[in-house]
Amino acid sequence: MKEILLKGTNICKSFQENGAEPRILQSVNVEIYKGDFTIIMGASGAGKSTLLYALSGMDSITDGEILYKGQPLNRLSENRKAALRAREFGFVFQQTHLVSNLTLFENVAVAGYMTKTAGPKEVRQRARELLKLMHVENAKDRLPSQVSGGEAQRAAIARAMIGDPGLIFADEPTGALNKSNSEEVLNLLSRLHENGQSILMVTHDAKAAVRGNRILYLEDGQILDELTLPAFREEDARAREDKISVWLSSLQW
Amino acid sequence: MGYKTVLKANLKRHRGALFGVWILLFFTCAALGVALSVWANAGSYINSEIERAGFGDLTAWVSGLPDTNSLSEEISRIPEVSQVETQELFFSDYTVEEQESDSEGQLIRYHAEENRYRFFSEDLQGYEEPPAAVFAGEIYVSPSMVSMMGLSVGDEIRFPIARAGRDKVFTVAGFYEDPFMGSFMIGMKGFLIGGEDFLEIRQVVQSSGIDALAREGAMLHIFAARSNALSAAELNQVINEHTALSSCAEFIHSESAIAGFMLILQNAFGVLLLAFVLVLLFVVMIVLGYSIRTGIETDYVNMGILKTTGFTGGDLQRLQLAQYLISIVGGMIFGLGASLPLSRVVSSMTLTTTGIRVPVSLPPPGWSALFFGAVFAWMILFILAKTRPVQEIAPMKAIRGEAGGDGTGKIQRTPIVPGYLHLSIALRQLMSGKRRYAGACMVAVLLVFITSMIGRMDNWLGPDGKGMMDAFNPADHDIGVQMFGESSIEEAEEMIRRYSGITDDYLLAMPNVAVDGMDYTANVITEPERFHILEGRTCLGEDEIVLTEFVAANLGVQIGDSVTVTGDSGSGEYIVSGIYSCANGMGDNAGMSREGYLKIGQDAPQLWCHHYFLEDTTQKAAVISALEDTYGGDIHIHENTWPGLFGIISAMRALMIVLYVMTAGFILVVTALTGSRLLAAEQRDMGIYKALGFTNRSLRLSFSLRFAMIALPGSVIGLILAAFLTDPIVSAAMKLAGISNFASSPSMVSVLLPVLTVTLLFTGFAFLTAGRLKKTDVTILISE
Repeated sequence: MKEILLKGTNICKSFQENGAEPRILQSVNVEIYKGDFTIIMGASGAGKSTLLYALSGMDSITDGEILYKGQPLNRLSENRKAALRAREFGFVFQQTHLVSNLTLFENVAVAGYMTKTAGPKEVRQRARELLKLMHVENAKDRLPSQVSGGEAQRAAIARAMIGDPGLIFADEPTGALNKSNSEEVLNLLSRLHENGQSILMVTHDAKAAVRGNRILYLEDGQILDELTLPAFREEDARAREDKISVWLSSLQW
Repeated sequence: MGYKTVLKANLKRHRGALFGVWILLFFTCAALGVALSVWANAGSYINSEIERAGFGDLTAWVSGLPDTNSLSEEISRIPEVSQVETQELFFSDYTVEEQESDSEGQLIRYHAEENRYRFFSEDLQGYEEPPAAVFAGEIYVSPSMVSMMGLSVGDEIRFPIARAGRDKVFTVAGFYEDPFMGSFMIGMKGFLIGGEDFLEIRQVVQSSGIDALAREGAMLHIFAARSNALSAAELNQVINEHTALSSCAEFIHSESAIAGFMLILQNAFGVLLLAFVLVLLFVVMIVLGYSIRTGIETDYVNMGILKTTGFTGGDLQRLQLAQYLISIVGGMIFGLGASLPLSRVVSSMTLTTTGIRVPVSLPPPGWSALFFGAVFAWMILFILAKTRPVQEIAPMKAIRGEAGGDGTGKIQRTPIVPGYLHLSIALRQLMSGKRRYAGACMVAVLLVFITSMIGRMDNWLGPDGKGMMDAFNPADHDIGVQMFGESSIEEAEEMIRRYSGITDDYLLAMPNVAVDGMDYTANVITEPERFHILEGRTCLGEDEIVLTEFVAANLGVQIGDSVTVTGDSGSGEYIVSGIYSCANGMGDNAGMSREGYLKIGQDAPQLWCHHYFLEDTTQKAAVISALEDTYGGDIHIHENTWPGLFGIISAMRALMIVLYVMTAGFILVVTALTGSRLLAAEQRDMGIYKALGFTNRSLRLSFSLRFAMIALPGSVIGLILAAFLTDPIVSAAMKLAGISNFASSPSMVSVLLPVLTVTLLFTGFAFLTAGRLKKTDVTILISE
């Protein structure tokens, strides 16, 4: 029996738009388990990113409930949510979203300082280790504008990892990268998962989705189906991709 | 059509920034309109009223003459004089509810048929028909008596006409406009009384002989012949040569000198407000420059697209010019319009200090065209200069977003200290966007400069007006005592010592003398080293004299030159040994030693006023009260103050409040404008920080800290500028009031208050501006 990390019940989200109120998420029920690399797939406009940000507490929901380790996320105060983001969650965005006037090292270290779970010295040491692990130690003193997109995204993953988060949220992390950089970022995420890191990733790319062990398919704001896979192995990548393609075809995608 | 559509869209898109520019121009032009309206209208009104009321080119106050008419006729016969008009009056001290006036009042006989004066309604909101006559027991006073002595209709004024309690008590029936002596800056005050009372006073004075306290006199309004090209001073010289006027004149003033006295407050107010307007214009330019630059950055891609549709660089620049000019012209027109009701408020508020109701109208067209035209032309040039870069936009480069940003390639890497994370991040953000914050820094410099300058002026004035009194008095003292009756000054001194020791004393007399034929008041002193000397040295020798710089300039003499001084017993040659400071009579006075004066003037015990320094100055009021109770009408006591001084101090305080309110308004607009642009530019970073666990509150704090960090050094620079520039700038304005020794010093009000106020206002308003972070979800902040 897997431990439930995040549980969403009847999650609804709608936006006010020219008097109308289109519903982006329609009573979504979902559970995210500890140690899983969960993928959310779906067509553009299906509500993938909206669900990701709703589950992370970054975006408000219109109705329903989200529990993180049993805590009702949508009822937490602003300060508690901020503390949760600092200590429990890590974020990797499609655009790298590093603070433009901080170096790669500072971007990672500042996120570490915010966790307040380790002293400054330990944070700096861990930041250096993570940047080395992500193969960007040589660029650590450069500003985001002075490095490649791949280097910036790897630093962003290091930033997401600095607080040893319970869950990493990744929103199309390879969406803005070229093929080789995408591959490298996905390899890093896989390696983190192998080491027990829980990851929830949004993607529309089957090549990226093969890294997950559980795939949720979202359409019109509802989870239509899910696919469970064994743990990722490089040599199985092609077969997994085919399996996913067949599954998606069965869902008319 | 396309041009209009884009302009409308731009106006809508930048409405926040354009509204901010509108507000700044509105404030600035309203202040400019008020300054010009008060300055120009007060000046022209005083001059026209002096002319309408029939006051002469020169007015001489005379007393002690058995027959004033013969002197008038004598003066009239001089070819340079066309006519002389006489107003009968009595000089007398007066008291209002135990408050004794420092200067004599002039009880003027009212003649309705002369139609000299305008009368105010009781609420002072307008005028009413002049009375056909002033009834017995009634008196009309200047509205400045409200601020000087707290008078209102129905109050009583007591005039001691003769000893043995022969006082004349009048009830205030109303207020009249005195364009001659109405201002609280002028110590002597005119009171209008009826013919019946006037004759009664004459009868009391004549029957009291040496016990009379009031003196009969007259105002002689001397009109120069139209063919005569002499200046007022030269005319005075000619009259003194041909008549006995100098022997009986209490004082003589020209029309322009009187107008100058009457306009001191309005001129000072106008100069200070214009200085403030100049500062505000700089602030407007800083904000406008910032707004234009960030506006171009925001619209850069759009401009590239517009170029691909056929717009030229010139078209884009004209669009920028049009959008800002709409806002600027709107602000200027509404500001000018608002200056009308504001001038009305200023006119009403100053009525009880200036004694006149300054007509409320827009500034004269010529002045408006000059000043507002200059502002408008400057704004156009400024916008054209600032929008020049849009002419250079390369369409595809702009569309790709390759330029037009803030170019943050080079960043000052300030340390990120874990223990002071918010402060560190605030500092890094600040250093990364230096140019964006430079405007706010400059605004802080300018606003602290002006508020500190006013603070230094306030400090110079002091809580009891000592600075002003030191400027007006020839020498310092705590109290001055003059004895008239049979009691001796030694008895008075004995009484003073019962309350406080006397640490020092000297004698001062203020007789009239003619210097090179022109009448001046002489400050004659037993210890000439007490004079406030500006240049050269004091008049230690009996053949030496010191002059104010105004008299020296009028006479065209300098230190080392000789002048002929004529007193009531002869004349002699004196060497100008120095230039001293005394703003009495707009600086129309000279200083002499006792020995020097007695060579040409007669000595008399009543001439001398004994000036004392008290060991315990807190006993001053008790000493004065005891002396007055004991000696009544036989003693005249004065302090180092005069009734109008507190009006000036109040006016100064009011001006400071107005400046601080306007400063707060400007900081609010500047912070809102720059803050919202900064937030828009940094919203991605803010979103990232939120995702990392920063709370709204901590981000707002960090944002406001940046403004504090930029406002504080700006304020300190403003403070330093004020320390160096206040004295030369204010001295130039003070010379208009005859004060030439302005020297300010720092105080809490001039140092800490402006720095703290400006820094805290920037910080507080930035915190409020950053409130919008709270309403925005992180996902919206970080979506692009």
